[in-house]
Amino acid sequence: MISLQTVFIAFFGIATIGFGILVFRTSSMVRSALALLFSQTALGAMFLAMQAEFLGVLQIMMMATEMSIMAIFMVMFMMDPGGLGAMEMSHQKRLSILAGVVGALATAGIALFTPWGVVVNVAPPAAEQIRALGTELLGRSMLIFETAGVTILTAMIAATAVALPALQRKRNA
Amino acid sequence: MSPDLLLALFTGAALFGVGIYGALSQTNLVMIMMGVELILAGALVNLVAFWRFLHPDSYAGQMFVLIVMTVMALEMAVGFGVAIARFRARGSVEMEEATELQG
Repeated sequence: MISLQTVFIAFFGIATIGFGILVFRTSSMVRSALALLFSQTALGAMFLAMQAEFLGVLQIMMMATEMSIMAIFMVMFMMDPGGLGAMEMSHQKRLSILAGVVGALATAGIALFTPWGVVVNVAPPAAEQIRALGTELLGRSMLIFETAGVTILTAMIAATAVALPALQRKRNA
Repeated sequence: MSPDLLLALFTGAALFGVGIYGALSQTNLVMIMMGVELILAGALVNLVAFWRFLHPDSYAGQMFVLIVMTVMALEMAVGFGVAIARFRARGSVEMEEATELQG
């Protein structure tokens, strides 16, 4: 008997993969960014289907903003963001397809043949999950959580420093 | 084995494969970053599935998901910083033209 949860996981899984493939199939950069947005949103919906409510909502919110910014960058940096000129923007296609297929088959093989142990069919309620995650973040995993914060700060400074024009960097030095 | 766990792991495997294809085949820096995002998305599905179906009582799995999401955001931030610098210097973010470090 196939449960409703299985149906939803399969549906959103197929949507995630489908939109993921579409990212590299269209010649329009804006469509690529939107396809990635839909792929990541379907992934968030898949998390919701797996009863990870907080992570699902977080994924959808984060990726909506991230991919919108990406679409803006696409329009800024591309010579042909609309894909009207049908520019070729790929190379070593056969090798890439081979690497992708081998990578996917290897990971699928590992998933299939690994003895995963006892599968738990009942997830904790959403409120209990958020409370327990908060306790985890401010307890046992606090150091990792703080490290993530410092890493974000470092990346922000690094990204700004790299993006500054060379002349301004020289003047500051 | 649970079909739900297998479905989630197969989705992760497919996203990993599509991401590898994208990261290797694209010539534009922003498109390569999209490939890396898909690889990390594959890792995210696996982590959520492991938490949900194998260890729902341990929240270290969800913590790991938050860290991977942070890595995704950082990759984008630094990647766009590099893209801006490259565009200012050369007027393009095509990686086939980035041969300065070639031996």
